[in-house]
Amino acid sequence: MVLYDSSTLAGSISGSSSSSSKPPPFPLQREQQQDIDGHLAGAGYKVRSSELRKVAQRLERLETAMVNSPADLSQLASDTIHYNPSDLASWVDSLLSEFALNPTCPYEFVTDPVTNRTVVNDSWTTTATNMPLVHQDVSYEEQSLNNKLPIVTAMEEDSGIRLVHMLMTCAECVQCGDFTLATSFLEDMQGLLTQINTVCGIGKVAGHFIDALSRRIFQGIGGGSIDGGSAFENEILYHHFYEACPYLKFAHFTANQAILEAFVGHECVHVVDFNLMHGLQWPALIQALALRPGGPPLLRLTGIGPPSPDGRDSLREIGLRLAELARSVNVRFAFRGVAASRLEDVKPWMLQVNPKESVAVNSIMQLHRLLGSGPNRNSPIETVLSWIRSLNPKIMTVVEQEANHNQPGFLDRFTEALHYYSTMFDSLEACSVQPDKALAEIYIQREITNVVSCEGSARVERHEPLAKWRTRLSGAGFRPLHLGSNAYKQASMLLTLFSAEGYSVEENDGCLTLGWHNRPLIAASAWQAVPDAPAEFPAPDTHRPS
Amino acid sequence: MVQNHHGTVGENKGKRPKFFINDHVDILIEILKRLDCRSLCVAASVCRLWCTIARNDSLWENLCFRHVSPPPSSVRSVVLALGGYKRLYMGCVRPVRSRLGRVRRASWARDEVQLSLSLFCVDYYERLGGGSNSNGRLVGESSPSSLMFLCKPMNV
Repeated sequence: MVLYDSSTLAGSISGSSSSSSKPPPFPLQREQQQDIDGHLAGAGYKVRSSELRKVAQRLERLETAMVNSPADLSQLASDTIHYNPSDLASWVDSLLSEFALNPTCPYEFVTDPVTNRTVVNDSWTTTATNMPLVHQDVSYEEQSLNNKLPIVTAMEEDSGIRLVHMLMTCAECVQCGDFTLATSFLEDMQGLLTQINTVCGIGKVAGHFIDALSRRIFQGIGGGSIDGGSAFENEILYHHFYEACPYLKFAHFTANQAILEAFVGHECVHVVDFNLMHGLQWPALIQALALRPGGPPLLRLTGIGPPSPDGRDSLREIGLRLAELARSVNVRFAFRGVAASRLEDVKPWMLQVNPKESVAVNSIMQLHRLLGSGPNRNSPIETVLSWIRSLNPKIMTVVEQEANHNQPGFLDRFTEALHYYSTMFDSLEACSVQPDKALAEIYIQREITNVVSCEGSARVERHEPLAKWRTRLSGAGFRPLHLGSNAYKQASMLLTLFSAEGYSVEENDGCLTLGWHNRPLIAASAWQAVPDAPAEFPAPDTHRPS
Repeated sequence: MVQNHHGTVGENKGKRPKFFINDHVDILIEILKRLDCRSLCVAASVCRLWCTIARNDSLWENLCFRHVSPPPSSVRSVVLALGGYKRLYMGCVRPVRSRLGRVRRASWARDEVQLSLSLFCVDYYERLGGGSNSNGRLVGESSPSSLMFLCKPMNV
């Protein structure tokens, strides 16, 4: 007897036309026919393909039961009434029910699908109503399954795997342009979602991806544009994301440490923040500058952010708050806000950099937005990097998501995003603070929607991994600065404070990455502009003076 | 004062007045300075005098920097501006120390305080913004505090 491994079954059989458990390419015959599995039919057994997995699992249970209580085997041989063994499903069930009457079978801890609590399933030791009722008319539809059989957890895990495979297949259809088939997959997946737990785990992530795929299919690319959310909403979601998990805190603290070290000995410093939001990064820097040996410098902060509607000047409000904090700790402080809806609209003269001051440029997850190129323009990343360089910053801190979501092929991008965001959602599970967690999930969901359902200029979440940024920044005339052991120590300490044990900080050739269970999710690095070699005297070797 | 109370109780030993700690506030302060957080909080509920002393920020300053070499004097003005040592200790230093206690390395003592200070500063900043943000909360209740993650029980 061949026991089907559930994962190989899900990845299913494209060869045999009658025995695949995924819907055949022609949109007929799924619900009407009872598709008997061809392989087993050849051996004399009649099993429906849709039930293969269930039967396989029950066979495994039967095997476990038989192995555990060999004394009862003889009883099986003599006392039981077996149904037609060619109807494999009911035959196995009848055997299982024989074992159910024995009190020697172990208890089962299962998750009750209705109430979602973990209960002890003692159907093996009692003749309670939730025992497999094989002597009655058995129906193996999906819904009855949840009431009757105690293998729900395994079934859920299994549905999760099936869901993932269906997601990939659907994405492949979308890439090929076969939207009809993709739509039918969407329906299947939504049906499958109702059977698994969507509060946590794979169900939740899958739900978001299914939504994003439907947006792409039904609204077309660009229909899921994220600019639909107001800047105000974005700030709130960002704030809750900051509270719920350590990624942004890690980014802020690491960047601050690098900036602090770069500003040692300088008395006039100017920080340019590419995305001010609520300015949560800067209190810690102001406090650290206030306490640095030798006293605080004159600090200027230029915050770039989207223009706020209806007359509110949110940038100025944040500036006022920061100024008040700076005043409390006796740091001379000046703030300037630059309102721009896109980073490429900012011109260096708007920042009013004084040539005598030391400049730090801080970009937390902003540079990737510049990577999109339209039909009539090059990607603005080059322009922006060159004007950053023209400011001659003492340090540029760059924090980016460690993922490859900017590949041209949709399926590759989709796969990568599925893995990345599953890991991120996993890490979010550890957060128990509501409502931070729910709103943080919405924040992440917006990213997912943008990566999956948008194209062209609407797709702004074009994450690239650290290696690619290294090449790009080195090519634009920057050289890396090592982040140092203080930053590493601080990051490790910060992580230890978070209650979940899965976070890990790693050092990657002078850059720090924060990940969940060794999968890096966010990478922080620091850069300095390479000064140009003097043009009048072309050096015989191309080695640039440092 | 409670001193005259003793005079009315018949003492066989003689007329020498008993030592009463509340008469010697400087000694009292020296003793309370050396207590740990829990004892200090308990001490604060003994009597009004002890309560007033226990609220004095300098005792909490001692607690914060107990295992660390004394910090530069500029730290004090910053901490006072941000809310005081008691708040710093209860809100940041204590949870940070207890969380890091499992993986405590001797060299981290100073960094713990620095990290606590940074977190404290972010918290102060968020408290500053409580007024202007109250109409913006999507959920309506208290604004998120960046220190809330320190209050949650640890998964072991």
